[in-house]
Amino acid sequence: MFDEQDCKSMNKNLKNALITVALLTALGGGLFYSTLDRKQETASRTAIADETRRAAQMVELSGLIAVDVEPFFKDERVVKLLYENNFRANVIRIGSREMAGRVAKDTAPDFFMPSGVVAGNQISEAAKKAGYTTATYSPYFTPLVIASWVPIAKILAANKIAAPVGEGGSKDNIYDVDLVGLTNLMLSKKRWRDLAQSQAYEVSRSVLVSTTDVRKSNSAAMYLALTSYAINGSEVISNMESARKIALQVADLYKRQGYQESYVNGNFDDYVGIGIGKTPLAFIYENQLVGYAIGRKAVDKEMVLMYPKPTIFNKVIVVTMREKAKPFAELLSSNPQLQAIATEYGFRTSIAAALPEAANKVGLVIKPRIVDVIDPPSYEIMAEMIDVIAKEMKN
Amino acid sequence: MAALKTRAGCSLRLLSIPLDPPLPKGEKLIDADFMPVEFDENHFKHIQIFLDQFFPSRFNSQGHLMRNTLFRLHSIIASILLAAAMAGCGKSTPPAPVAPAKSAVPVVESSLSILATTDLRDIEMIIPKIREATGVEVSFKFGGTFESTEAVLNGKAGTDAAWFANAKYLLSDANGLSKVKLQEKIMLSPLVIGVSESSARQLKWDGAEKVTWADVMKAAKTGKLRYAMSNPASSNQGFMALMGVAAAAAGKSEALTAADINRDAVRDFLTGYKLVGDNSTYLSQKFKERQGEDINAFINYESWLLSMNAKGDLREKLTLVYPHEGVATADYPLMLLNDQKREAYQKVVAYLKSEPAQLWLAEKTLRRPINPDVAKKVAHLFPKDRLLVELTFSTDRAVADSLIEAYLNEYRTPIASTFVLDVSGSMKKEGRLGQLTKSIQYLAGADNSITGRFSRLNSRERIWLMPFSSDVGIASAFVIPNAKDSSAKEAVFAEIRDVAGKLRAEGGTALYDAIYEAVRNMGEEQAKSNAKAKAFAYSVVVFTDGERTEGMNLSTFMQRYEGMDASAKKIPVFLILFAEGEARALNEIAKATGGKVFDARKQPLASVFKEIRAYQ
Repeated sequence: MFDEQDCKSMNKNLKNALITVALLTALGGGLFYSTLDRKQETASRTAIADETRRAAQMVELSGLIAVDVEPFFKDERVVKLLYENNFRANVIRIGSREMAGRVAKDTAPDFFMPSGVVAGNQISEAAKKAGYTTATYSPYFTPLVIASWVPIAKILAANKIAAPVGEGGSKDNIYDVDLVGLTNLMLSKKRWRDLAQSQAYEVSRSVLVSTTDVRKSNSAAMYLALTSYAINGSEVISNMESARKIALQVADLYKRQGYQESYVNGNFDDYVGIGIGKTPLAFIYENQLVGYAIGRKAVDKEMVLMYPKPTIFNKVIVVTMREKAKPFAELLSSNPQLQAIATEYGFRTSIAAALPEAANKVGLVIKPRIVDVIDPPSYEIMAEMIDVIAKEMKN
Repeated sequence: MAALKTRAGCSLRLLSIPLDPPLPKGEKLIDADFMPVEFDENHFKHIQIFLDQFFPSRFNSQGHLMRNTLFRLHSIIASILLAAAMAGCGKSTPPAPVAPAKSAVPVVESSLSILATTDLRDIEMIIPKIREATGVEVSFKFGGTFESTEAVLNGKAGTDAAWFANAKYLLSDANGLSKVKLQEKIMLSPLVIGVSESSARQLKWDGAEKVTWADVMKAAKTGKLRYAMSNPASSNQGFMALMGVAAAAAGKSEALTAADINRDAVRDFLTGYKLVGDNSTYLSQKFKERQGEDINAFINYESWLLSMNAKGDLREKLTLVYPHEGVATADYPLMLLNDQKREAYQKVVAYLKSEPAQLWLAEKTLRRPINPDVAKKVAHLFPKDRLLVELTFSTDRAVADSLIEAYLNEYRTPIASTFVLDVSGSMKKEGRLGQLTKSIQYLAGADNSITGRFSRLNSRERIWLMPFSSDVGIASAFVIPNAKDSSAKEAVFAEIRDVAGKLRAEGGTALYDAIYEAVRNMGEEQAKSNAKAKAFAYSVVVFTDGERTEGMNLSTFMQRYEGMDASAKKIPVFLILFAEGEARALNEIAKATGGKVFDARKQPLASVFKEIRAYQ
């Protein structure tokens, strides 16, 4: 937005400075400048030999990965560690739900790294049909949490829906949230201003957890697994009939949100970028908030981590499509250095204490152990429920 | 090749510089004949700043210097510039050795073309910064929100990426989402109401009191709030404001359905809609002219209103009002369309989300950073900590369609306009008459695209088609019947299409006679209808393909125009510049009548007609 006047005055100011340079124009043609002394690199013979040997052993792998692990694979230390173990992974980020569609005969990548077992199962099924022999690994995992804010946590606590974890919970901003209580509150279409002691957030919006679009994103499917469990009398749904019935109820919890992001980073961006006015409660992966805090080495004092009780784990899955990708998947699961880096991105690994320690270093307290965890319903039931909701959302 | 020593210890070498398009043989850009005495790092820095400021896109994708960059300047400056541009150019010619100095510019490795909504024009200045940080040469193409959404949906964007203030409709559509390979939000700006300070005081909207959408509707209905806003049928700001009113009036706390829309509330709100237009630059100009007279508010993005306040050329500053039940925030997603450009896209996104870029965006464009750490650093730029509750955005197409259709056909002040159509002999050339016929027929229902539907003639609208050549023809008058009677409406559309289809090109160009006659006609109609207390939005649309050859000349026209009734002189004349049309004369008329000139020389005539609809 600059206007002509700015342009003119700028013109004048610079004119003098520029006149000096005009002298150069006589040279015609063009010019550039460069350093006179460019350093020449000379490699020693041993280094060359090393490289040659490595190049001969190097295993090149192509992979399609989910957005959650993209920063991990972009990390130079990861690239280096893989290289030292003779792997070079060329990865492209796509949506976890799109991956099963990329399992064409002969043209599939060497491995997939989707977010969640649901997508992992989809890929394995499709791969079997296309004649591949697959193996599945799960090197890292993260629980689903609700990211929230201090005033919201206090209102929910006052309404007996949430409670600080342990004695330090209210100070450390970690809460347990009663999944059944919260689900019922949402289904009853309560507004924030209708709740007891809601002065700090006296708005007419309905109490709803912000999720992504269940037709497109894994985290929203995890939300479906949790809320359907709550509606089903705290039991994992195991028959189709109740699955369809309950899916209709859950559909409302998505529809009433209006526009939903199609990927989980969009939801998290709204939480950190726009804040409490848009996302009082955001359904995200724990690793997003923890990775964010570790990355910036600080914690926002207004942010609260809520653990649904029960919650669900999301596993980062590696599906290998060819033999040569197997040692790579094993390396991701077992190499302590790679695991330590994954921790920095907020993932939990087989070393239970690693993440709470890393989080503590930047002043973030997380639940050291999460014991109240459910499994998602079977693949068929999940697929059916998502279908029912997708139809509802078109109406 | 000669080399020159510089103070900084760099050498200057000569090479031949590629120009785009190349110079004709034997032609030289510079004939100055002097030698450099001294040359140091600072010179380069000055030049770099100058060029980045005014010629951010001076290189094409191959790193060739764009020739028009040079020709746009006076000759002396041009010669200075060449040295400078070449300096930049040399540095960006791969694989140029990079100087050790601070002003080093990296190699331009790749390019990324972006289709952006027009409200992002102020972003263009960041192009050099992106290039410097990432080596990616970004170029922009601008369009209206609905027009651009349609282009992406149809796969006709023709760019590597798209960047909209709000892409929720695009992204909630399965087809739209399939076109978007990656997306990332870059910055934020809520849609708010800027009210002249004195009016805000009178309305008691200047203090800590909460202002609700109901207050806004009431003020609009009672004439206390008279606002400028971009057209809800073509742009995001107007549309989102309408959604806000509808959502608040429905008293619903969640996504709306078409049945929830409270029509009375929407109508009340639109009573205060006094200044219509399509882009914010035009609206700002008009707003400055009319602020404190018949207009006292401007509905737009916070960033735009804060920028207007900062410029200091308003008659009165604006108080920003954030309606309590909710605002709609633009989140500016940058979306990758061309998967081949993934790498360049990711580099650009990483840069735009980095602290330096986020700071720049906040400070220069007054949009809120998406990065919360940067947001804290620039918090002083934005009104103090208010809880901005976000409105729930309904993705139900029926809600959007019914709101826009209702706005056009029921709630808005109906349009009454005379279309002055040049059918002189020159219209036989190059299928010009065919284009004109098609453009008119599109307005009468022959275009079923989204933008076509929202720009066609609406219920209650009155239109006169007035062809002219050597003489001014007799105007055919039409009244579009009520929305509910679709067959009657279609019958009138058919008549209009028929009249347009029968236009024949012959004779001279009595341009000013025709314009005068049209303004006079509209003035008379206005006087008649005012007597009956029926409000219409009057305007004249002029289409011509060349200079006047017959009838009165421009100065006679201006004299006679001056003598017209004051009320007739308030009728804006929108003029289309086409083929050999005379830009200077048309601009003069636009200026005198408070209208605007639309250039149809570089885009299809039919889209220009659509665009004009948003100003009527």
